[in-house]
Amino acid sequence: MLYNTYGILPFFHKGGGSELEEEGRIVEHPILQFKRKKKIKFYFEDREIEAFEGETVAAALHAAGIRVLRYTPNLGRPAGLFCAIGKCSSCLMEIDGIPNVRSCMTKVKEGMKVKRQKGKGDAV
Amino acid sequence: MKVYQSAIVGGGPAGMMAAITLAKHDVKSVILDENENIGGQLVKQTHKFFGDHAHYASTRGFEIAQKLESEILKNEKIKVENNATVIGIYPNNTIVYVKDGKEHKIQAKKLLIATGAMEKQLPFVNSDLPGVYGAGAVQTLMNEYGIMPGKRFLIVGSGNIGLILAYQLIQAGVEVRAIVEALGRIGGYEVHANKIKRLGVPILLNHTVVKAIGDESVKGAVIAKVDDKFRTIAGTQREVVVDTIAISVGLTPLTELAEQAGCEVKFIPELGGYVPIRNERMKTTNEDVFIAGDLSSIEEATTAMIEGKIAALEMAREINNIDVEDEINDELKTLALFRSGPKSVKIRTGLEKMGIKTPIIAKPVINEEKKDIVGKLRAVLECDEEIPCNSCEASCPFGAIHIGENLNSTPVLDATKCTGCATCVNACPGLAIFVMKEDVKEGMVTLGIPYELLPLPQKGQKMWGLGKEGNYVCDVTVEKIVKYPNKTNIVYARLPIEFKDSVRHFAFPKKESPIVCRCEEVSLERIEKVIDEGVTDFEELKRLTRVTMGPCGGKNCKLVVLGILSRKTGIPISELSHGTSRPPVKPVEFSVFEKGGDER
Repeated sequence: MLYNTYGILPFFHKGGGSELEEEGRIVEHPILQFKRKKKIKFYFEDREIEAFEGETVAAALHAAGIRVLRYTPNLGRPAGLFCAIGKCSSCLMEIDGIPNVRSCMTKVKEGMKVKRQKGKGDAV
Repeated sequence: MKVYQSAIVGGGPAGMMAAITLAKHDVKSVILDENENIGGQLVKQTHKFFGDHAHYASTRGFEIAQKLESEILKNEKIKVENNATVIGIYPNNTIVYVKDGKEHKIQAKKLLIATGAMEKQLPFVNSDLPGVYGAGAVQTLMNEYGIMPGKRFLIVGSGNIGLILAYQLIQAGVEVRAIVEALGRIGGYEVHANKIKRLGVPILLNHTVVKAIGDESVKGAVIAKVDDKFRTIAGTQREVVVDTIAISVGLTPLTELAEQAGCEVKFIPELGGYVPIRNERMKTTNEDVFIAGDLSSIEEATTAMIEGKIAALEMAREINNIDVEDEINDELKTLALFRSGPKSVKIRTGLEKMGIKTPIIAKPVINEEKKDIVGKLRAVLECDEEIPCNSCEASCPFGAIHIGENLNSTPVLDATKCTGCATCVNACPGLAIFVMKEDVKEGMVTLGIPYELLPLPQKGQKMWGLGKEGNYVCDVTVEKIVKYPNKTNIVYARLPIEFKDSVRHFAFPKKESPIVCRCEEVSLERIEKVIDEGVTDFEELKRLTRVTMGPCGGKNCKLVVLGILSRKTGIPISELSHGTSRPPVKPVEFSVFEKGGDER
């Protein structure tokens, strides 16, 4: 199982062999209606991930059960989302080759290449 | 460089209301906002707001945002610059922002800074672990994007945000294990707390989180009791199994841009930390710069909107030299009314430290209980705390609910006027009103409760009646479900009369089904369901449910499954096929076959 090392949550797989839930996304809600836009694909590390247009990178990764968005520069600790509104800079990732991008404020785009940021995001 | 009459940084409730007010007084403005849509944090608020009807009471937060946004987008005097990240403010009211990967500069005669606030951090061991979120982040994922970041939550802090979050999580279908609160009392409104207590969420007072457990992601939390100095009491630590920890220990104003704009700030904890110094009309120490909303003091969206209006009126007065004194005074009065209840002590104390006195126009009163009429269909008001809201009084078509001039006063019902129409039940943002009609002869009562969960019960269905703490009280029978466009539906059920004051929620009976096949985690309920669907053959049952097909090869559960099949079909076990056993009968590595070995 790759769950732990990749920070991928196992809870989307229901017991008893029943069908998979729509990946981490709420389908029915007593108050809200989620009108999802066009389905697109992007890449996280080397994995292909489906998302909907209008979702942020961080949100789409969470829907796929991915919480670890980077590793910190000094201690190498895993870090993820904290405020989700562009203030705390905890969710910085490398997006299309550019480091230190706030994944909570960046919308996913078709074919986008998203990587966990390691360290301070030095240009390679 | 483009020069505007006025510029607004931040398109939340304060900024939006300011733009609309400025436009009304013929002042053009530009709203700079970092998001794709304006609305600020209102867009993720699914609960109905408290307040009075002139200020969107009973309207859900995201609907307030939609209304204001559409009004703004139609208004030619307001330019909305979305996806615009303001990175600095320089002399002469020069704003620098980034949009589409480019730097832009504008100037304005007057600025309104309404940057709002962000979640406070709470340092504990592993508080930086992925899976520890600010409460607002969970709301953003869940209510804006419809994405659930977890399944089992611990919430830290029982202020209104924590309480509302717990309710929203349950609405979204996940579990809230507990709310821990370091103080000895609940921080938020009593009605918000009651909403989740009756759903069975425990609020642990004098408790805090001391550690998040997990290597790469939260797998649990250690909580502990604290003493009155918030020190952990040894020996009280215990583990809770959660996959997400949401922190709601308050907000802190985002003052950076205001400071760059030359506004002096002062540390006033009652207002949220460092806040810009400003006068009653929201003007800062810089003549041209105004503030409003959470940046000026951590409060509600309702007060943010009023502050936005006041700031805008004063800006319009200075820009166009117009007389808006009456309007400003009206708004100041409304704001004072909102802040006149006991829950606003903090804000009043904080403002006083800045030299702003909040006049108490009318004291809130605890209205005396009027005579009840047992046996009549009527509303039951359980709103005993002085909070700024009069949506029940305003919604009642028959004038049966009285609050009075100060909207912090508690409501009282005149049962002679009440028809039991339940309009107030539907309108109450605190879900604190119920309807009731006793049938004394039969010893039963019909109770109507507000219901904002899915699925909706069915008429005739048996449910559990839960008490105010979420405890089981008695069985109830659903009589009627009334659906409303605002999604606060009302479920009526019949129950024994002696429980009329204790039952406050209806829940589906909990089905706890034992696991029969431990390898494949198949429950008794699942096996019985498949048999009920017409499957009577053991081999077929295996293929459909995977019972007996795990690593143990059926050693654990085969007989149990056959027993269930026999009981349900009436066919003796001896006459049932019991399947074929295939090697290997113990789990072995594939490599043992590849490697081969001696033939012995």
